[in-house]
This record gives sequence, structure tokens and C-alpha cells, in this order.
Amino acid sequence: MSERQLLVGPFNRVEGDLEIRLEVADGRVSAAYANSPLFRGFEMMLTGRDPRDALTITPRICGICSISQSAAAALALADASGAEMPEQGALAASLLHGVENLADHVTHFALFFMPDMARPAYAGRPWHARAVAEFTAQQGSVARALVEARARLFHIVGLLGGKWPHTLAIQPAGVTRTPDARDKVRIQTTLRAFRRVLEQQMFGAPLEEFVALETVAALDGWDRGAAGLFLEIAADLGLAAMGRGTGRYLSAGAYPMPEGRATRAGVWDAGEVRPFDPSEVVEDLSHAWMLGGAAHPSQGVTEPDEDMRDGAYSWCKAPRLDGRTVEVGALARQVVDGHPLALALATEAGVRARIAGRLLEIARTQIWLEDWAARLDPSARFMGTWEVPKDGAGVGLVEAARGTLGHWLSIGKGTIAGYQIVAPTTWNFSPRDADGVPGPVEAALVGAPVGAEETTPLSVQHIVRSFDPCMVCTVH
Amino acid sequence: MSQIETFYEVMRSQGITRRSFMKYCSLTAAALGLGPAFVPKIAHAMETKPRTPVIWVHGLECTCCSESFIRSAHPLAKDVVLSMISLDYDDTLMAAAGHQAEAALEDTIQKYKGNYILAVEGNPPLNEDGMFCIVGGKPFVEQLRHAAKDAKAIISWGACASYGCVQAAKPNPTQATPVHKVITDKPIIKVPGCPPIAEVMTGVITYMLTFDRLPELDRQGRPKMFYSQRIHDKCYRRPHFDAGQFVEAWDDENAKKGYCLYKMGCKGPTTYNACSTVRWNEGVSFPIQSGHGCIGCSEDGFWDQGAFYDRVTDLTQFGVEANADQIGMAAAGVVGGGIALHAAVSALKSAQKKTQDKPASEEV
Repeated sequence: MSERQLLVGPFNRVEGDLEIRLEVADGRVSAAYANSPLFRGFEMMLTGRDPRDALTITPRICGICSISQSAAAALALADASGAEMPEQGALAASLLHGVENLADHVTHFALFFMPDMARPAYAGRPWHARAVAEFTAQQGSVARALVEARARLFHIVGLLGGKWPHTLAIQPAGVTRTPDARDKVRIQTTLRAFRRVLEQQMFGAPLEEFVALETVAALDGWDRGAAGLFLEIAADLGLAAMGRGTGRYLSAGAYPMPEGRATRAGVWDAGEVRPFDPSEVVEDLSHAWMLGGAAHPSQGVTEPDEDMRDGAYSWCKAPRLDGRTVEVGALARQVVDGHPLALALATEAGVRARIAGRLLEIARTQIWLEDWAARLDPSARFMGTWEVPKDGAGVGLVEAARGTLGHWLSIGKGTIAGYQIVAPTTWNFSPRDADGVPGPVEAALVGAPVGAEETTPLSVQHIVRSFDPCMVCTVH
Repeated sequence: MSQIETFYEVMRSQGITRRSFMKYCSLTAAALGLGPAFVPKIAHAMETKPRTPVIWVHGLECTCCSESFIRSAHPLAKDVVLSMISLDYDDTLMAAAGHQAEAALEDTIQKYKGNYILAVEGNPPLNEDGMFCIVGGKPFVEQLRHAAKDAKAIISWGACASYGCVQAAKPNPTQATPVHKVITDKPIIKVPGCPPIAEVMTGVITYMLTFDRLPELDRQGRPKMFYSQRIHDKCYRRPHFDAGQFVEAWDDENAKKGYCLYKMGCKGPTTYNACSTVRWNEGVSFPIQSGHGCIGCSEDGFWDQGAFYDRVTDLTQFGVEANADQIGMAAAGVVGGGIALHAAVSALKSAQKKTQDKPASEEV
């Protein structure tokens, strides 16, 4: 029996820094410890400020999911103040947020996940030449086409939000910009162009055909576009069985609209869906360099342990739902929403399922965006009134590209008295809790094959990237 | 030092055609505000001069600068610049991973000693010996010092590297510190903004790579070609300011009419940046155009100047063009001494130009 330890990291081509310590026995990972080595202390900075400042400060947690942060802050403030968005305001906010989520998924596929398939280590595989031609970092033809299309897609955020990253337009009672008829046409034209690129490069077919897939067998039969290339690679490398998660999924429901959220909220566990009760969230600090005890985010504090005590190994807190780990992200969202293909992949729960869940959501999000753009009514109200309460509390739950994002806010004497953020990657990349239960990624890594010569095992790269980590959000 | 290939050779090896190369030279000239006569000069320089290697490192940050950069309006300029950078080191965008990537950084430093530009995104936190930002097992501040030692010049991308940005907001838990307070013996070009505009980033780096010298800087170390005017000076809503027509509430009629956002806390009158001219996301728009005031994200200390939605200062009596500069001056006093200095720039331009040019040409 051979045993060794590996330190994998820094991971490039992820947002922020990540380091993972692996214990390897007999060519497989036997234990994994995820360390988020970057701490900034946003929650501490927010305390004492004008509550509205959260709208400007929190997006700057992250340059890639900044609209998600801004949407969560706006919802938390709305919850605390009783503000409501007019229907059209909610529509515009969802358009802004949806564009960012869609772009993030495309970026993940083209720039973060697929370039690993172009590595020399895979030379000789039947698909390798195509992976090199299409996805070599910065040069692959498909990667370039998608990145360029993504930049053009962001024109929509430009039109509705002024700039991206760090858009300011979403407010608790609506959005600051009322699009005119010309804007609406431009948004629709931009979306049409993006659909063309998706259908040509990503799916090789109308999006609706991919959305109509219902079984794993049907997915296996998909051989068109970059999605087809991915599925061929997945079959060859056994990505379906690699990096299996717990099979417990959480979603707060994406895109709050007047008629309800566009996707269902809930917790999926072994085939059963139950309602998501935010009061069941507890952040455990036993293995984080944080002081204080386990607490619900509304009671939580952020006080870094500057001694970086032994036993702890990350700046990341360990959120648990009713005492258990849950996985969040595109797959989780689609499973909870009940899409047949996602449900078929829910127990497979590995690298392939996560990537396929993201592909499915790319197609569905594009279709939603087209629908919302068509419903824009330039003559309607996009903004209502609201006032910052002197005292109060609120929670803002949204679905970022990478999963459930929650902001818990309390206001006292007109300023922020407490602010706690639980980001998607906080859920997925959490360290162990007081019971020693590893976080979702730590658990998913156990069993990953490690070659005798490997120092940055490819299987570990694939598993970690299948979660699409956003490390700057994780600890914030 | 080993022989370094020319820019042109690099581009050719990246499969860029002669025609595209000439187009790039034209774009560069245009982006930098130079006339067509400069195109052959730029082409000649790029054909004969060894390229300038670039190392791009990331500290405490949110990666918004990289995100902005890869969204530049001139895909060709971006591709050329990126292809040159990727030959060297950038831990977010490069293909290599883990220890390989760390080795690539060291190789690049050794190979191009004294000759490379260090581009810094984010900043080092100094509390607890830098333990709040660990890259490759070591505090980022060590990587920064190490990489800066043999750099020819440093670009501080964005508000984090230039000034500290929101992560340095009170109480600044990690003591996030701008680059120039850690590295004091190198020429530093600040390209502030959260993030900076993509075209400003490519413009600055293209200028440096093409002409092998620093662009002309203002007193705060910002390139004058992009940071010499206030947002307010070229804002399309300026006529409403001059006419005293203001948005009073987010949902009022004036908001729909596109009146001035000054009363909603717009910091345009005290913010030096190119947003109102170059605009964002390939020239589509900028925050004021989206109905939200400017937050002044390219100014030092913008994160700790009172609430973002508070008015710059009570200046409603100045409603006409003649006094607009006084607004800038008075408000600058509120924002910080450095900007007050800057507001006087136009009067002192020629004298200042000398002092700026001198150190720049000496050090590079």
C-alpha cells in the first residue's frame, strides 16, 4: 500500500485562489482538504455604513458574478424595507442577471473546463486533435468564437445597466434605466445573434432540441457541436462516475418575477423535493480560521482568527442545511426545477452530470431571456419608491450561475448592523464541520484516480472545475 | 539576456497576417489619438524592436480587471496584446496549471530580467504577514516584491492596485495596500477604475509595448490621455446640469427624461476618467447613461467618502457653466487633496509636463 500527500494549487483559470491538500492511497484520493486562501472581510466593512451602500460594495466581491451579488443585496434591502419592484423592473433585473449567468456558464465551458482536454497528457485520444483545435487556451476556434459572442452579449447589460462588471442599475424597488423601444430591439437583436453562435458552436442544433432531451441515453446519443465533443470525451474518460457528489441539491429558485420565480425553489434529496427553509442554514466555524460559534447567518459574525489555529485550514465557513451538506449550481437548480434530463442525471451526480446540467441551463436561459426581452414594455414603470428603514432585517436569496447566494442583512439606527453572505462556492467548497463531515467538493474528490507520476492530477482538475469554483465569492 | 524576438515575429508566429498587422498599427494609432502619419512609424518599431515581455500577477482582488480587459472593443488589439502576454505569465488566463505555472513565472523573471513590465491586478494585504492572500503557498506580497525587483516598470491595474479599493474600506480588515506603497523604487503607472475601461487598459499597454516608454502621467501617476478630463466635462447629461434640471427620485419623471443625476449622488463632477467618452462594453453605454450616478470608482478613496448616494457636496447654487469648474474644485476638496491638486492641472500643465517627462524617460 502506497501513501502520499499532494498539495494541488494554485488553480489558474478559476476566479481567485484555491489550494487543495490531498491524501493519496493506492493511486486514489483518500481525503481532500479545500483551502480558500484569500480573505478580504467584506462583512466587516459593511457594518456601520448606509444600508444602500451594500448595492455598491457587495458586487465588488466578485468581478464575474457581480450582478448576482447586486441582485441579492437589492432583495435583502427590499425584504427589510418592504420595497417591491414593478413587474417591468423585475423583468429588466432578471434580464441583467440572466445575461450574466448565461455568460458565466459559457465562460466556464469554453475557458475554464474544456481547455484541460487539450492538454498534451491526452494526446493520442481520438478526440484530442479536435479538443486542441477548438479549446486550446486563448487560441481554440470555438473558445474564441464563444468569448467574442459573450462580449457582444454583454451589450445588453451595457444598455440596461451602463457597464459590466460592477453594474449599479438594480435597486430594491426596480432598475434605474427605462429601456426605450430602440433598446428593446437592440436587446432582441443581440439575443438572436447569441442564439446563432450557441446553435452553431455549442449545440450544433436548435436549442429546443437539447432542452427536449429527457434521458441519459438520449444525452449519450448527442453528437453535435461542442456539447457532442464534450459527451464523447466524457464517455472516453469516464467522467460520469468521476467526482460523484452527495446527490443532495439546493436551489432558492432563479429570477424572482411577479408571477413567481422562473425555476422552483427547494431541496432535492434521494428523489424527494421538500421546501427550502432558509432558517435551517447554519454556518459552522470548526475548521475555518474564524472566531465564534456555529450560527444562522442572521446571527453570524465574521471575525478572522489571526492566529490561524491548528485544526482549521480555510478562511471559508462551512454552511450546512439542517446539519447536512448540499450541492448548489446549475445541475442542482435544474434538478430541483424538475427538468427530466436533470432528474435523470441527479443520481449520476458526477463531472458529466454537472457539465451537462450547465449545458442544459445555457439553452434554457437563452430561451427565457428571449421571452423576457419580448415582454419588455418601454411605456411601463421600471422603478418604484422605497425608503431605508431605521431598523429592520432582511434576506436576499438569488441563484447565481454557480448556485444559491444569500445575503442576510440587519439594520439598526439607520446603518448596517450586521451583514452575512453565503455564496455558492461557500456551500460547495466548504471545509469540514464539527462532526468532521467534509464539504461537497472534498467528498467528491475521494476516490479520484491519481497517477504515480502526477503532481496536479487531471482527475482532480476535472472534478474541481466541474463545480465552477468562484473563490473570490467563497470567503469574500 | 537571451535574444528576444520582435513584436512582428511574435504576431506572425501567432498566425496574424500582414494585413491584420497593419490594421493593428492603425488601430493603435487611433486609440492613442495619433494621426495616420504614425502608422508606418508604429509598424517600423514593431518590426525592429524586441517585444516587451509582460508578467501579469493577481493579489487580493475580484478579477474584474481581467474581465474588463478580455472584453475590449478591438478584438485584434486584444488578441495581439493577449498573445504577447500569454507567452509570459498570467495565472488567471494562462493554460498551464499549478506548479508548472509557478515555474513559468520564475523562468520569465530570470529570462527577461530588468526588461519586463509587471502588470498587477489586485493588491497585497499586509496584516498578519500577508496571510490573507496566499499564492502558491506564499503571501502575495512576497510574490509581488520578487516579481517587481527585476521589472522595468509596473502597471497598477484598477482601483485595488492603484488605491486599495473597497477591500481597503474601513476598517480595512486585511490592511489591503496599494502597490505603490509596497514597491517604491520602480516607475508605476496607475490605471484606476473598478474595473478600468477595457479600451483604456489596451490603450495603455499597447502604448508601452509599442513605444517602449511610459505614457505621459498626471500628478497621481495616471496616463493623461485617458484621465485628464472629468466624467462631468463630457457627460451627455451636462446640459441638464447647466440648466438646473435634476432627477430628484429614482422613479420621478425627470429620471425618465434623462435629467442630471447630481442630486442622486453622481460623482461625475469630481471623477477623472474616460467613461463619458470611451464608454463601456464596446462603447455601448456607461453608468450615467443607465440612469445611475457615477460612484467615482477611479478616484482615490472613493469607497470611504460617505454614502454612495449622498450628494458630492451641497453645491446646488452652482448651476451654470461658468462655475462648473468651481464645483469640481470645491468638491475635489471633499474627496481628497490629491484631486484638488489635479483640478489645478490645466493651469499648470506645461510646468508639470516637464517634471513628469523627466523621471519617466530616465527610469525606463
